[in-house]
This record gives sequence, structure tokens and C-alpha cells, in this order.
Amino acid sequence: MREFGELEAAVMDRLWSRDEPATVREVLEDLNRDRALAYTTVMTVMENLRRKGFLSREADGRAYRYRPVQGRTEHTADLVAQVLGRSEDRAAPLLRFVEQLTADELSRLRTALDAAGPGAPPGADPRGSRP
Amino acid sequence: MSAAAALLAYAVVVGTGGAALLRGCRWPQHAPRLGVAAWQGLSVSVLGALVLAGLLVVLPGEALSNGLAGLLDACVLAVRAQYATPGGAVVHVAAGIGTLTVVARAGYFLSRGLRQSRRGRVEHLAGLRLTARRDATLNAYVVEHPVAVAYCLPGRRAGVVLTSAATTALGQDELAAVLAHERAHLRGRHHFLLCGANALAATVPCLPVFAWAATEQAALLELVADDVAAQGGTDLAVARALVLLADGTAPAATLAAADREPLARVQRLLAPRQHLGLLRRVAIATVLAGTVVGPGAIAVAPMVAATAAQTCPISPVGSGSLSELSGA
Repeated sequence: MREFGELEAAVMDRLWSRDEPATVREVLEDLNRDRALAYTTVMTVMENLRRKGFLSREADGRAYRYRPVQGRTEHTADLVAQVLGRSEDRAAPLLRFVEQLTADELSRLRTALDAAGPGAPPGADPRGSRP
Repeated sequence: MSAAAALLAYAVVVGTGGAALLRGCRWPQHAPRLGVAAWQGLSVSVLGALVLAGLLVVLPGEALSNGLAGLLDACVLAVRAQYATPGGAVVHVAAGIGTLTVVARAGYFLSRGLRQSRRGRVEHLAGLRLTARRDATLNAYVVEHPVAVAYCLPGRRAGVVLTSAATTALGQDELAAVLAHERAHLRGRHHFLLCGANALAATVPCLPVFAWAATEQAALLELVADDVAAQGGTDLAVARALVLLADGTAPAATLAAADREPLARVQRLLAPRQHLGLLRRVAIATVLAGTVVGPGAIAVAPMVAATAAQTCPISPVGSGSLSELSGA
């Protein structure tokens, strides 16, 4: 459901921001600063995330403490790696704009672009900043 | 029998030589959509020839001949002579198994490819939605990541994805070019075409046409998307975006034949645009249509020949003397 999707993102965001595992109640209180949610709703969402492999839990007395299986940056890095790692797999579910190249191939590309003549260098305008 | 043999020969010749010919052609670079159609037509033609060859052997020669002959009021025995298969039941069964195998494999690989592709996308999207934010101006997902990457997620919940590094590295024009390119892939349902091409390549690995069709179509579809993006902006913007986004750290292990493609794409965009003249397009389309229809024509040619024959043999199949009677 669409609302759950947005809620899942919110729960992950809160857990990623914390340094330590949290119980459902702790996450609920955190989220309830912005919206009114029921305990069961948050619990369902966190259990869904656990089933999908994004959260793990450990017993702490009578409650469970949940924590993200991966950090936020590793999670994103894994996603991007899925896209980058598929140069041979043409049936990839994703179509990326261009393959990532080695420095050698890249310099050939740049040479070709420079040879095309004058014009603003790539990325040079108020919006972008070339490193 | 001769028709089935001719069809097999056609499949082998067109599936290797014909495919090699198309692969060596330059014109698809200047008319990529037509190029994609050419590869699809070639694939359909060769696959059709294989299946038809099998069917012609499998179908009971007599029933087929009787039916056809009755339809055309032709000499039954003459038609039968054309389609009968020596070797009896063994050949029939072998051909039947062969045809069924090809059809079943095609169905299996296609459904498996579609399912796996969909599952991969759904999983990826689920993970993506936990960290990505939806950028309303760009109408795309943006994820925090230090490497500039852009890609599209086809399917039901289709969308374009950019990393934060990509949004800062790309200028206004280049960003628009990238978005237009990815959206062209989505609108054209290119992932479906590639799934189909890959399924065929897995179905008949012994003929190079299908594997080549898969790789060539993938490359040509990038050109199609490049052209759409260039239409909305400039060739230069697309070229610059390509150079910027290729700036990654690819470990040597992931390099494939595709590594010459970005350079070819940039060079193509920077060179003066070449168009394929109308005459050439018509010629190509005619050859393409002929290729697609070819197997069907080969299959019915003996029947047509038998219909046209004025004489009618008195005994069915087999060499040896046949006395001829006039009339049908």
C-alpha cells in the first residue's frame, strides 16, 4: 500500500539516524511527533521491514529491539552497485545511461568531446559544479 | 521434404551469413529504429523457418497434401510427392520433438526472463524507496551517492533514478538530456524488446543471429534514446552528459564489449547528422519484408509448383519412372 511505503521510508530514516537499536514504542514516539499513528501500524511496518531483510531484531526483556541490517550509505551503495555491476547482463531490469569506464576509456571520450570544438565545458553553469 | 530441407538451409544461411551481413552494415547507425526492426525481422524469419521446417515434416504428409490439393483442385499425388518425407515414423517423431523443443524453450526462456527481470526491479524499487526522495522538478528519484549515475526503472512503477552526484555534476541542458534519454527507453518499452531478444538468444544458441540480434538491438536502442534526447535539446548536451556520467570507477573486471559503445555514441553525436534517404529506406524495408515472408513462401512453393504442373504421376513418392498422364 502506498501509505505503508512512505511509512517504511520514515521508519528506516529514524532507525538510520539513531545509533542504537530501538523498540517499536520508541520509534512510534519518534514518528508521532509529526503524525498520529497507532502502535500496531508501526509494529506491522517494522515487521514487514524485518521480513524483507532490512531490519533485524533481538529480544530485550519482553520487547524486541530493531536495528537496520545495513547502514544508510551501504544500503544505497548496494543499490547503485546492482546497476553498475550488470555490464554483461543485457536482460538487466534497469537500463543505465552509460557504462562506467576506466580512466583510459574516459580520456578517449574527453578527447573526442574536446575535438568537437569550443563550447562550455560540461557542467559549467550555475546549477552544476565540476570537481 | 525438399521444402523442409530448403527451410533448414535457409535458416542456417540467413542465420549466419545474413546476420553477419547486417552486422557489418553501417546504415543502422543512421536509422537505429529501422535497424532494430531489421534485427527483429531477421530473428522472426530464422525462427519461423526452423519451426516451419519441423512442422512440414511432422504433419502427416498425406493429410496435408490432401487438404492442400483439395483446396487448389490440384493433382493430389503431385502435391503429395512434394511434401512426403522418407524415413517414416522415426523422422516424423524426431522432427516433432525438435519443433516442440524449440517452441517450448522459447516460451520458457521468455517467461523466465520476464519474471526474473520483474522480480529484480520490484526488489530494487523496494530498496530504493527507503532512501530515495522524489524530486518534483525533475520528476525523478534522487539517491544520496558520491558517484554520478543515471538509470531508469522500467515496468509498472516506472521512473528515472539519479544519484545526488549526478544532479550536481550535470548542467541544466545535460540533465534534461539524460532525463529525455531515459524516458525514451520507458516510453518505448525497450526492456521488453531486450527481454524477447535475450530469450531467443537462449533458445537457439547454435545460430549466431539471435545472440547478435540481442547485443545489436541493445546498442541500437541506446542510439534511439540518444536521438530522442538530442531532438529535445542538442547533440552536444547528450554527448557532454555521456562523458560526465561515464566518469566512474569501473574495476577492470566488469569491462565487456560494451566499453567501446560510449565512445561510439559520443562520436556519433558530435559528427554531422546523417539521414537515410527515402529510397534506401524503402529498399531496406522491402528486403526486410521479403525476409520475414521468405520462409512462408518456401514452405508453399512446392505446392504452388505442383498446382502449376500439368502432369500427374500415377504413383506417389519415390524416384523411378512415372508414367505421365495429361490433365489433373
